[in-house]
Amino acid sequence: MKPLRSSADVSALPSVTFGPRSLMWWGTLGFMTIEGWTTALLVGSYLYLRQNYHGWPPLRTPNPSLLIPSINLALMLVSIVPAWMVARAGKRLDEAAVKKWLVISSIVSVPTLVLRWYELWALNTRWDTTAYGSAAWTIVGFHTSLLLLDICDTIGLAIFFHAKKLPIKACSDAADNSFYWYFTVGIWVPIYLIVYVGPRIF
Amino acid sequence: MSNLPVAQLLVEADVAREAAALDATWRDKSGVWGWLCAVEQKTIARRYIITTFLMFLAGGMEAALMRLQLARPENALIGPDRYNQLFTVHGTTMMFLFAVPMMQAMGLYLVPLMVGARSIAFPRLNAFGYWNYVVGVVFLYVSLFINMGPDTGWTAYVPLSGPAYSPGHRVDVWAQVVTFTEISALCGAVNLIVTVFKMRAPGMSLNRIPVFVWAQLVVAFMIVFAMPAVATGSTLMLALDRAVNTHWFNPAEGGDALLWQHIFWFFGHPEVYIIFLPAIGMITPIVETFCRRAVFGYTAMVMANITTAFFAFGLWVHHMFATPIPELGQSLFTAASMVIAVPTGIQIFCWIATLWGGRPRLTVPMLFVLGFLFTFINGGITGVMLASVAFDKEAHDTFFVVAHLHYVLIGGGLMPLFGAFYFWFPKLTGRLLNTALGKLHFWLFVIGTNVTFFPMHILGLNGMPRRIYTYAETTGWGTLNMLATVGALTIALSVLVFLINAVRSWFSGEHAGDNPWDAAGLEWATTSPPPSYNFVHTPVVRSRHPLWETTVEQPVVTGLRSDRREILLTTTFDAQPDSRHVGPDGSIWPLYVALCMGLLFIGSIFSPYSVLAGIGISLIGLFFWGWQSTQDVEVERVALPDGRMVDRL
Amino acid sequence: MHSFFDPASPQARAVAGLWWWMFGVGMVIWFGVFAVAMYAARQPHGQRGPDDLEHVSPERHRRMERVVAGAVFATILILCAFLVYDFSIGSVLAMHPKRALTIDVVGHQWWWEITYEDPNPSKRVGTANEIHVPVGELVQFKLRAADVIHSIWAPNLGGKKDLIPGYVSTLWFKADTAGVYRGQCTEFCGMQHAQMAFYIVAEPPVKFAGWLAAGSIPNPPPTDSLLLHGRDVFMQRGCASCHSIGGTDARATVGPDLTHFKGRAAIAAGSLSNTRANLTRWIQNPSALKPGVRMPALELSPGEMNALVSYLETLK
Repeated sequence: MKPLRSSADVSALPSVTFGPRSLMWWGTLGFMTIEGWTTALLVGSYLYLRQNYHGWPPLRTPNPSLLIPSINLALMLVSIVPAWMVARAGKRLDEAAVKKWLVISSIVSVPTLVLRWYELWALNTRWDTTAYGSAAWTIVGFHTSLLLLDICDTIGLAIFFHAKKLPIKACSDAADNSFYWYFTVGIWVPIYLIVYVGPRIF
Repeated sequence: MSNLPVAQLLVEADVAREAAALDATWRDKSGVWGWLCAVEQKTIARRYIITTFLMFLAGGMEAALMRLQLARPENALIGPDRYNQLFTVHGTTMMFLFAVPMMQAMGLYLVPLMVGARSIAFPRLNAFGYWNYVVGVVFLYVSLFINMGPDTGWTAYVPLSGPAYSPGHRVDVWAQVVTFTEISALCGAVNLIVTVFKMRAPGMSLNRIPVFVWAQLVVAFMIVFAMPAVATGSTLMLALDRAVNTHWFNPAEGGDALLWQHIFWFFGHPEVYIIFLPAIGMITPIVETFCRRAVFGYTAMVMANITTAFFAFGLWVHHMFATPIPELGQSLFTAASMVIAVPTGIQIFCWIATLWGGRPRLTVPMLFVLGFLFTFINGGITGVMLASVAFDKEAHDTFFVVAHLHYVLIGGGLMPLFGAFYFWFPKLTGRLLNTALGKLHFWLFVIGTNVTFFPMHILGLNGMPRRIYTYAETTGWGTLNMLATVGALTIALSVLVFLINAVRSWFSGEHAGDNPWDAAGLEWATTSPPPSYNFVHTPVVRSRHPLWETTVEQPVVTGLRSDRREILLTTTFDAQPDSRHVGPDGSIWPLYVALCMGLLFIGSIFSPYSVLAGIGISLIGLFFWGWQSTQDVEVERVALPDGRMVDRL
Repeated sequence: MHSFFDPASPQARAVAGLWWWMFGVGMVIWFGVFAVAMYAARQPHGQRGPDDLEHVSPERHRRMERVVAGAVFATILILCAFLVYDFSIGSVLAMHPKRALTIDVVGHQWWWEITYEDPNPSKRVGTANEIHVPVGELVQFKLRAADVIHSIWAPNLGGKKDLIPGYVSTLWFKADTAGVYRGQCTEFCGMQHAQMAFYIVAEPPVKFAGWLAAGSIPNPPPTDSLLLHGRDVFMQRGCASCHSIGGTDARATVGPDLTHFKGRAAIAAGSLSNTRANLTRWIQNPSALKPGVRMPALELSPGEMNALVSYLETLK
């Protein structure tokens, strides 16, 4: 073996980073890609099944109601604010603010999950009546699983932050959690438009 | 790097002390509990490799049974019910439980070593993926033994696999086994992508990444876009149709049987390249090493990999030429299916040029490269034939296609893989495989493969469809089928020779030393097998062939702490040192959550409510997983997004 | 009897021509490329450089670059030739003739229901697993599936087509040589996918017209007491709840139409030749010969069996 020469000493490099400089951000991005793509495939299949029908929704099936889905959409968009505040506090290493906004974020996001239940029934059809109903329920149901996972993540982080002094890296993790929340809300907008508004248009 | 002080030559005693400290930090705990909690990158990858190889043996035994049944017309050895389970489980095993995870396992073992990293990006996620995979393996084989093995083919076409025509739980088993492999493949893919993007040794810029690592990176991206398709099709649509009466595929209620085929093949065609690209990625280092010559056309090869990946997503319809879809669309897919032969051709020509410009030594790995060329080129040519709509409408779903796909997967997947086993066995075990047994294995394998599968081309064109358990004597298919069976038994014998060789060599083979082949890649810069921390000091890379450089000294990185699991992160394009990341310790929670997922998905077959229970207990596991991930509190150097650097507790 | 290599229609002939061309070119490429690889592997061309690695001179490297580029170019040319040839064949096969004899084919687990439609319902001809077509005339199959996906393929006559629930697909061909051509289902369709064969009987137009005309005329009712007994067994012991026989009250469509049952060469979708002994074995216990088959075993006394089989044997 050749003799080793130290040509780079890295002890002065940072051990906590944010955004694309950290591994967690990339991992989050990876799973966002996977989930986003799954949603895209589901929406594509929904539109594929559209070809089998003359009308959409099919005969005797009413359009989805818009009231609750619109309220929930607004609530989800509002919930971006506390998530953004969490990220901002995290990026300033302001642990007290992170704690506070994580709690607010949790409080704002849990009702979206409750409304989601009514939102499913706002489709005005069942999953087992027609393929139209199956497709709509599957898409909204799949998004619900993302929503549930992310809300649990937020609540878990809030608990961790209140339970003990966390390493400072947790501020970066909190910022990544907000990053994932933007995605979860962001991907809902096209779903809302296609599944709830869409049947009135095409 | 200019702001970092350039230090002096390292003293051997210091290196040894550092190694001891690193080992104490990185080694998995011993004992049963430690075994269950293990997260070390090579430990998990080694388990993966062994489990997937066992799956190869299982799939091979199923194949042998099928060949025995087909050896004679109107054979009564295996009835249709058993036979249909056998070919379904054979296909499912080979595609989902052997080929894809095996190729990924090789990547999980070798990629961190090849890029000079201490570990993999997310070791716990890696362990979680592995345990998920194990749940899938156990589930499929327990089901097979209790006569609940899936029986609608590895493609599970609806409506045959739907609730109306496959009552019972056999197809449910298939749908959920696929779920487990999706999860594990996706975990592995994200892990490999992030490892290659962020954890390369300093100096390993994009144009210096080894070809095998490029292949694994490209394939990881393909998995990210292909696996969600089969997840959508099987876990969401098919399983829901079967469990809660949705109508995705039920034409009576507006569903569509062809939708399944579109979704399945949108995954299924890239799947072939997910197996093939890592395999041919293994060929380049073998050819380079035994020609002692840099591969001809590095850039062309990398580009060919990327092009293949793109085109692979545009071919799926050529599996559906016999369905009533518009003819114009078919022509487009014909053209795309032929175009994909070009990047593969480029790679083959580049290897031949590499051979031409060197003085090749025909070692066992090289023999397998030649075996690959012989077998795979034939599979490639029949592939181009099948791209023709007119011819495909003849050969589709016959034994011609069976011959084609085995020529491609055995030639393009297994041959390179066996070559890779001989090549990297020392890195796995520290010992060399026996050469004489290796040559015997090679010749039996090549002859067996061709004797088994070549006659199937003729059988197919003589009208023999695939997936039949019997045929009448009057069809005249008996002789060639008998020949194919003899070939299959030859393959079985060759695998037995390999098995004996592997077991013998593992315990009493010749010691290999760090770099027995005088190869160029970073994986050979550490001991065989590598220590838990991979490298005492991360090497600094200045060319594509770090170990072939003629400099007297090896430049390395210093300054990573050895009292905790520090890993060097580098920038994505130029691989400049960027930050220190602290990896996690061993943990039981990946195993726990994997078992919960098992309960969730397996339980969903019997009662939709078990999904709720599964989610509940999984969340508990994830909570503790997260809790345990919070490392010790100490002063860290934080790089803030605004560019400031502060030290904070 | 059934082989792609022995085409009996212009369509199959065109594809066979394409195949032989592809086969020849493919073989040359297969052995050519491998021979070059072997030659490269056995003949040392490279020189050892000062760094102990193999090198080639710059001129040689340039020459190799040209050869590799040439090989890639040749690959593209060959593929283009394939493509042009394939498209030209494709356009021939894709032409949809305006008039053709249309035959309805419905795939069932595990048999083929064949119907020759006619505007006059009494002239409609139903049969199973044996398709008579006139030589030299275009024939169109209208394909549907009753349960799962099936696929129809007679290698001598042309390409295959899937029968998919919810879709109607079509298949065209013109047999130009008289003969009996075997084919079987090529899309896995469950337990007895292996035994779902059919025959296409291509016969001169006059003979075909005669067959078709006779097809819509039921056999006269039996007069013999044994045969009458056999017909009663058929009507009363369950056969009639699945099968139909023209001219009788049996009109069920679950199983194959048996009006001219004895005119067919095989029973059980090509699994057994249509002999008295086979028929008896089949009715006694269909599952013994074709495990999983939908037809149930009937418990008949030897006398009943004899009468039933005798009756069926008269359905010419």
